[in-house]
Amino acid sequence: MQQGDGQETEVTWDDQQNINKFGRLNNKFHELEDEIKAKKDMADNLEDAGNELILTDEEEIRYLIGEVFSHIPKDDVETRLEALKEENEEELRQLEEEKKVVLAQMADLKKILYSKFKDSINLEEE
Amino acid sequence: MAEVTSASERRGIPAAPFVHDVQTFLNKSNYDASTALAALQDRLQQYKLAEMKLLAQRRDLQAKIPDIRKCVEIVGTLLAKKGTGEAMKVDFELAEGIYSRATIPEADSVCLWLGANVMLEYTCEEAMSLLQNNLENATGSLKATIEDMQFLRDQVTVTEVTIARVYNFDVHQRRKLRNQPKEEEAS
Repeated sequence: MQQGDGQETEVTWDDQQNINKFGRLNNKFHELEDEIKAKKDMADNLEDAGNELILTDEEEIRYLIGEVFSHIPKDDVETRLEALKEENEEELRQLEEEKKVVLAQMADLKKILYSKFKDSINLEEE
Repeated sequence: MAEVTSASERRGIPAAPFVHDVQTFLNKSNYDASTALAALQDRLQQYKLAEMKLLAQRRDLQAKIPDIRKCVEIVGTLLAKKGTGEAMKVDFELAEGIYSRATIPEADSVCLWLGANVMLEYTCEEAMSLLQNNLENATGSLKATIEDMQFLRDQVTVTEVTIARVYNFDVHQRRKLRNQPKEEEAS
């Protein structure tokens, strides 16, 4: 993290805890990115399914429940899709919100740590 | 203040001791810098090993939870049909890529595969509560595993920082030693 011949700066327990916190947040950030990506893919898929549903003439749609395709009237499928979309959007919104909080906390910690350790510490991704 | 601060342990993972002052730490432990570094690297490796185990655990749980969700979904559908007298028409997979059609009459019970070659018949309500319970347990263990991983992550960070500090300290010591003879010559 800070190898090399930098200035010798005393690292206190508080500093260490800040570094830990930063590491944790950074991890969290990457996990959130992954989850957000999955939710966005899901949103696309739901959107596609919705469009296909509009185009089809069939009255009964095969809809995947668990491991089997259940024959369900078109209207019901529409309702289910809408519910899924809403749920997905809500979850996506929450994740984006969480990401914002994490990024803000990381920015704060960066300020604190850089002001103390200068170039002896590197908090950027390679 | 003591030279090292250690925050006990969590589920068998010992906490990494935090070194307050490198010089005092080396004096107390009777290590020279390179032995101390070797010991710290060793500890780091052990943490990495534990991390791999936890990662595998998390992966398993993350795969298991959607499976349970699927079960909850289908039992929920059966429950919803109950009392309507309607049969459920489904296409189901016989083998990979081969489907057949089935009609499931209004069902009171389902058979749950419990593992270890045991299958038990439950009423839909009982099956539902069992599955919900499983889901809760799995979500709970996933949460605990993630917390363990965070704790472990902290210990890895502490150890990495300590390694960097001992290393820096050693570099400074060597530089001081190298400069000393010159100063003597000058005087």
